[in-house]
Amino acid sequence: MAGRMNTVGGRLVLMLLLIHAVLMPALFIALATVIDRSTMNAFVDDARIEGRIIGDGVENALESGDSGAVEQLLDSAMLSGHGVYAALQFQDRLVTSSMMTSEDVPRFEEDFDFGEHGDNTYYMSVPVSHGDEFAILRLGFDELPTQQNLAAVRQTIILILVAYTVLALVATGYMASLVVRPLKWLGRASHAISRGEVDKELKANSELREIRELSADLETMRSNLVGMNARLQKEIAEREQAEAERRTLERHLRHAQRLESLGTLAGGVAHEFNNVLQPILLYTDLAREELPKDSETADNLGKVMDLARRAKKLSNQILAFGRQDIEAELEVAELSPIIVNALTMIRALLPASVDLRAEISNDVGAVRCDEAQIKQLLVNLCNNAYQALSGRDGYINVSLKEVIVPEVFAAKYPKLRAGEYAVLEVSDTGHGMDRDTMERVFEPFFTTQQVGEGTGLGLSVVHGIVMRHDGEIVLSSEPGKGTHFRIYLPLADDE
Amino acid sequence: MAKIIVIDDEEDVRDVLKQVLQRAGYDVSVASGGKEGIELLQKEGADLVITDVIMPGIDGVTTVKKIREKFRNTRILVISGGGNVAPRSYEPDAISTTAFLSSAKNAGADGTLTKPFDRQELIDVIKELLDD
Repeated sequence: MAGRMNTVGGRLVLMLLLIHAVLMPALFIALATVIDRSTMNAFVDDARIEGRIIGDGVENALESGDSGAVEQLLDSAMLSGHGVYAALQFQDRLVTSSMMTSEDVPRFEEDFDFGEHGDNTYYMSVPVSHGDEFAILRLGFDELPTQQNLAAVRQTIILILVAYTVLALVATGYMASLVVRPLKWLGRASHAISRGEVDKELKANSELREIRELSADLETMRSNLVGMNARLQKEIAEREQAEAERRTLERHLRHAQRLESLGTLAGGVAHEFNNVLQPILLYTDLAREELPKDSETADNLGKVMDLARRAKKLSNQILAFGRQDIEAELEVAELSPIIVNALTMIRALLPASVDLRAEISNDVGAVRCDEAQIKQLLVNLCNNAYQALSGRDGYINVSLKEVIVPEVFAAKYPKLRAGEYAVLEVSDTGHGMDRDTMERVFEPFFTTQQVGEGTGLGLSVVHGIVMRHDGEIVLSSEPGKGTHFRIYLPLADDE
Repeated sequence: MAKIIVIDDEEDVRDVLKQVLQRAGYDVSVASGGKEGIELLQKEGADLVITDVIMPGIDGVTTVKKIREKFRNTRILVISGGGNVAPRSYEPDAISTTAFLSSAKNAGADGTLTKPFDRQELIDVIKELLDD
C-alpha cells in the first residue's frame, strides 16, 4: 500500500481525497445551511401572513358578532397549508376549530422558532381586539412536510457532491495514467539503457507535450550514448590493432636489425678473411711454380689453391648476405622471363623425381633488379624447398604475380610500403619449420641439416639479395605441412 | 720494362704481389701507405700504381686523387678485400669496400680488383691497363 501511495497516480488520488474530505463536508454544511434558512424563513413568513389574514378576518367577524364566521375562519386555517391547530382564546373561554383532531392544548406562551420543541409543529399567537375585549388567535402549522423536503434536498446535495467527488477521482486517475504510463515507459527505457541495452530507439507514445519533449531528450541522450559507445569501441579496436601492428613491426624490425648487424659482422670478417686469402693463394701459386708440374707437392699445392678459392666463394656468399658486395647496377626488367629462364635451369639441376610446378603470370610489372641475383635467389629457394621435401612425396610450387600491398599489411614489415609489388612465391609441402627455426633461418651458417650437407648460407644470400632490392620476405611455415617464402619486390616507377 | 708501384698496408700482400709481378717481368717498388707511395712515385715514377683502398693514414681513394692530380698518365689499379672496413656491429651503414672501390673509380682509378684474385687475373688486368 505504501508502495502504491508513492507513485504519481497514488499521490494524486490521495491528495484529491484529502482535499475533498475537507472541502465536501464544508460545502455540504454551507449549502444545507443556506437552503434550511431560506426554506424556514419562507415557512415562517407564509405562516405569519396566513395568521395575519385569519386574525383580521376573526376581528371583523367578532365586530359583526358572527360566531359562525369565526369558526369558519378557524376551519379555513386548518384546511389551508399545513394547519394542525386553530383556536381563539378569550379571557373566559376557548373556541377551537371543529376540524382539530387533537384536543391537546399546546404549551405555548409566545411565537416559537421553526423546529423548536421537537413536536414538528410551528405555533404562533395573533392578538385580536374585540371591542374592549382582548382575544388571542392561536394557530399551529405542521413542520414535518417542510422538514422532509429539507432532508430530501440534503440527500440530493450529498448525492451530487459524492458524484462530483467520484467523477473527480476518476478524472484524476485518468490524468495520472496519462502522465504515469509514459513515465513508466520512460522508466523502463532508461532502465534498459542502464543495463546496456542501448540499441532500441526511444519514442514515448504520449500526447502530452512535456512527455514528448522528455522522451525526445532521452532519445537524443541515448543516441549520443550509442554514438559515443561506438566511437569508443572503434577507438579501442583501432588502438588494439595499432598495438598489434606495432608489436609485429617491432618483431620484424628486431629481426631485420639482427640480420643487419650479423651482415655487418660477417662483412667485416669476410674483409679480413679475403686479405688473408690473397697472400695464401698467391704464395702457394708462386711456390708451386718452383716445382716440377707432375710432382706430388705441386699437386698438393694445387689443392691448397683450390681450397683457398673455395674459401673465397664462401666469403663472397657471406658478402652477398651482408649486401656488401654490390657490383652490377639494378636495372628495370620484367621478372617473368627471368623466372622462367631460371626455372629451366633449376629443373635440370633437381632430380627428375621432384615435382616442380610453376604459375608465372605474364602481367607483372617491371622491377628494378639484378637478373643474376634474382636467378640466384630462386635457385637457393628451390634448393631449400627440395631439401625440405627430403625424399617425401610432395611438390615445390613457384608462382609469380602482381599484388597491391595494403597499408595494414605494410605496417607489419619494416621494408614494405603500401603499393604495387611483384610477389615471387616458393612453397613446398616439406617438413616445415618451427618458430625458432623461422626466427633464425636467414642467419648465416644457420642450418638444420647434417654437417656437410649444406653451408647454411643459401637463405642468408636470399635475404641479402631481397634487401638489396628493397624488398621484403614474408615467411610462413608449419611443421609437417610445408613452407611458403613470399618475396615482395617493389614495382619500378613508370618513367 | 714497365714500372709498377704497389701500395698496401699489409706486408704479406705487398711482398707476394712484388714477387708475382717481378716474375711476370715488371720492375716493382712497394710502399706501406698512401703517403709513402706518392713520395715513391715522385722519386721513381711509374707506369702503374696498384693500391689497396682501405689503409690507415691516407686511404686509397685520397691516394688515387692525389696521384691523378700530378700524374695524368700513370695507370691506377685499386684492389680491396670485399666486406666491411671493420666489424662494426649495430651500425647499419658500415662502409663497404664496394663503396670505396666505386669512389676510387670516380676519383680516377682505371681498374679495380676484389681480393682474393688469382695470379692470372691480375696479370690480365695489368696487361690490359698498360696496353691502353
